[in-house]
Amino acid sequence: MNTESKKAMVIGGGIAGLTAAWEMSKFGIEVDLVEKASFLGGHAIQFCCKATDECQQCGACSVEKMLKNVVNEPLIKIHHSTEIEKVQSNEKFLVSLKKDPEYIDPAKCNNCGICFEKCPVEGALMRGYSKNNMPLYAICEENCLFIKNKSCTVCQDACPEKAIELNKTGSLDELDVDAIILATGFQPFDATEKPTYGYGKFNNVITGMDLERSIRENGSGVRTSDGKEPHNVAFIQCVGSRDEHLGNLWCSQACCPYALRMSEVIKYKNPDTDITIFYMDIQNTGNNFENFYEKCKSDLRFIRNIPVDIYPMEDDRLRIRYMGEDDGLPVDEEFDLIVLSIGIMPGLDNGKLSELFGINLNQDGFFLSTDKLNKCTTSKEGIFVAGTAEGPKIIAASMAHAGQAACEAMKYLEATK
Amino acid sequence: MTETKTTEMNEITIATDVLIIGGGLTGVKTASDIAELGYNVLLIEKNSEIGNPKQLPGSIFGLNKGEDKGLQDLVDRVMTDDRIEVYTQMSLISVTGVPGDFNIRLSKGDDVIEYKVGAIVVATDFSLETLNEKYGLGLSENVITQSRMEAILALEEERKKILETYPRNIAFLVGFGQNATPLVNERVMRSILAISEIDGCNVYVYVSDIKVASDSLERMYKEGREKGAIYFKLKEIPRITQNGERLNIAFFDPVIRRNIELASDLLVIEEAICADPINRELAELLRIDLGPGGFLQNENVHFFPVHSNREGIFVVGSSRQVQNLPWAWTDVENVALEVKDLLGDGKKMVPKDTAVVDRGKCAMCLTCYRCCPHGAIYWDSRAIISSVACQGCGICASECPNNAIQIGGFNDIQIIEEIKKSVEQPGNGEPCMIAFCCENSAFEAAQMAKAFKMHLPTGLHIIKVPCAGKVDIHYIMTAFVEGADGVLVMACYQGNCKSERGNTHAGLRVDNVHRMLEETGFEKDRLRFATIASNMGREFSSIVLDLENRIRELGASPLKT
Repeated sequence: MNTESKKAMVIGGGIAGLTAAWEMSKFGIEVDLVEKASFLGGHAIQFCCKATDECQQCGACSVEKMLKNVVNEPLIKIHHSTEIEKVQSNEKFLVSLKKDPEYIDPAKCNNCGICFEKCPVEGALMRGYSKNNMPLYAICEENCLFIKNKSCTVCQDACPEKAIELNKTGSLDELDVDAIILATGFQPFDATEKPTYGYGKFNNVITGMDLERSIRENGSGVRTSDGKEPHNVAFIQCVGSRDEHLGNLWCSQACCPYALRMSEVIKYKNPDTDITIFYMDIQNTGNNFENFYEKCKSDLRFIRNIPVDIYPMEDDRLRIRYMGEDDGLPVDEEFDLIVLSIGIMPGLDNGKLSELFGINLNQDGFFLSTDKLNKCTTSKEGIFVAGTAEGPKIIAASMAHAGQAACEAMKYLEATK
Repeated sequence: MTETKTTEMNEITIATDVLIIGGGLTGVKTASDIAELGYNVLLIEKNSEIGNPKQLPGSIFGLNKGEDKGLQDLVDRVMTDDRIEVYTQMSLISVTGVPGDFNIRLSKGDDVIEYKVGAIVVATDFSLETLNEKYGLGLSENVITQSRMEAILALEEERKKILETYPRNIAFLVGFGQNATPLVNERVMRSILAISEIDGCNVYVYVSDIKVASDSLERMYKEGREKGAIYFKLKEIPRITQNGERLNIAFFDPVIRRNIELASDLLVIEEAICADPINRELAELLRIDLGPGGFLQNENVHFFPVHSNREGIFVVGSSRQVQNLPWAWTDVENVALEVKDLLGDGKKMVPKDTAVVDRGKCAMCLTCYRCCPHGAIYWDSRAIISSVACQGCGICASECPNNAIQIGGFNDIQIIEEIKKSVEQPGNGEPCMIAFCCENSAFEAAQMAKAFKMHLPTGLHIIKVPCAGKVDIHYIMTAFVEGADGVLVMACYQGNCKSERGNTHAGLRVDNVHRMLEETGFEKDRLRFATIASNMGREFSSIVLDLENRIRELGASPLKT
């Protein structure tokens, strides 16, 4: 594998994209890492550590580590807030990029955070989830007053490093690359698609992603209504996954592990919290699942039934009706907090990307891997797929898949030398 | 702040041949991929052939018909590849040395062969365990294993004789004799689909949890049901009794809420997919961890996907977890990258001073050899630390009773200097606290707390260490003697330490110091041990603030001058 002077592009800066870029850079390949959001790290960088008194192998810290590797690697060029406009392929790929304005100059910004503190508009200045996001702050075009009507320059004026320029314009760029890895990730299931759960309408109905962020930010899961820790919590599994009505005929693979692990975190921090898991089938977490599940069974209550309705109560508590396991009769029970274990859905851009790159999606809407024994091959030579873009995966599997994609891409670069 | 500076490098020459243990399909694929990178490969297999030496049923690979087409070609190619030496009926008998320089001894009968290799990949197979005893059943013509069912389905003659002669009720039992994996369920689902092609067979599946957390399994589960299979999800093992030629299966159906008894003509009992029993022996020979279930990887995120706890020894496929062939192939490509990264072209630049033994001080007590979690230490007349294998954690340096080992970038003089400088800084009456922070977790969490403007005590001084296992008792004592009001030793969580036991060593040392402090009457509360992860800035803040509050209650250190 003599691949020096070859260039690769990785599309998507989540854990799979970061891993693929890092693995290739180790072997001297220049990588352009393209991310449409303002920050690298994807969904997984928002996840919390799920250790109790011991590590539970969720892999969230691996994402921090990989992000740190990537931002410190000179061979990886990062393109934030950038989308793919066009792809032309002959021997190489000519990729046209559309870059949003870089309002905050990463070379000047020192992450002091004054802009974030001074900005008068909620949500106009965004902060990343990891200290390894460089810069840690970004302007949100939708909410920024300057971008709306040029009426506010507070952040620009306050920045001691003169790193902010609100007048900046976007740019177009064209890059020549020899191979492409698609690592565009997944879309968390939109819980409002199941309206009877009242997500977004009722207080204290949150998703697993919300709980991840809450534990990461507050150290524990709290109620949205009053910021207090709940006395009893219900998790509803398979929200959006394994759902024939929605046509989602897949298990998302990550939700049982995250729900059980976060339940254990809540229980560890506050042993008096009662936790109920409504489930169809509990999926495994790893080689040590047997012991872990025994512990879960002694700490948590498992009910094999997926409730259909959630009713809000006057005191911001929530009532669930489900079928009792012993007598089959309906049971009404109230909870302080309900967590919807939302699953992994195909990325919203998959359709557009599959057209741009001329590669196929599978029947579920994820990118099709065309070789069963090589899970990162797509229907086009020189383009590889990594991570949840190909289908549901946990963090460890996404990283392994990305390593494979990097290896395959390098074999291709060698072959096309 | 201590900067890790190990700029001075040495070029060393290392062996680049690679030993692969296990000639199953994963081992064969590993041999092929590593040879393709230009390395010479030794592939050893205990049995007399490679490819599928244990004759495991094809269903265990998780492939559809036709998808296994290239496999025989792969085996043939490996047999004839000039770069690959295949040794069957060969066992590993000993391994010494370090990555880049492993000396291995192999035996075939009475013959012993010696080799030098740079890296080792373990690719052992699964083994299958029949679980009929867990159901209290003996195997017979109508109580059969999953493998037997597959054999019947594969052979026209058997299928005709057993499944096509008259309508039959076939029952599968899954997940009561074990916590099944998706692969166990997949085998059953494949059999169900094959049986659905045969007229007159009714399929009932008795299952605890259906494990579908793998590619396409939910779809396969649905397809089976659409083709007539009926699933009963039960909490307990159904009661099975003999009824003439047939077997009666009695259970409580949670859906219609009634006791049901169904007669069955053929009972198919699940098999457990287990780690190869040889793993135990290999773990000992290779000095690597035997993880849960007898697989050769501890559940430590730093090792995923293919690392063992020793540099230069890798684990792939079924040697590390239950996985189908497509995922094992993913491991193989990862290990190819790791091997290339480690061995390169045989010339390796290694830091001069990652860990250096002062040969004048070394008394050959071999404490270092015993405590090194990376298996990086060997000896001639004195201990030697392999610069390829050493991860620079510094556990050996802190454990060495003669203080004969120094870690580059973190030597004792530097750290003591840093402690003194930190304590000397004017504190304006605020409690002076020294936090020894592992660079993999606590140090990162501290940086996060700072970046996110979380509250931190003004008198907090952070000293970065390569692993909490490098925090000497001497460091803690020096901090107190110099006048620190509080000391924190912050490590990774149990099971998350990159050096596996660095956090344990750190915890034990803090316990020791607690006892010493107690004996002297010094408030032991001033010293705390905490575990944390890199992404827990909030917890970092609350741990240090908590100690600060305690110090405010206790007042300034009595040792403060």
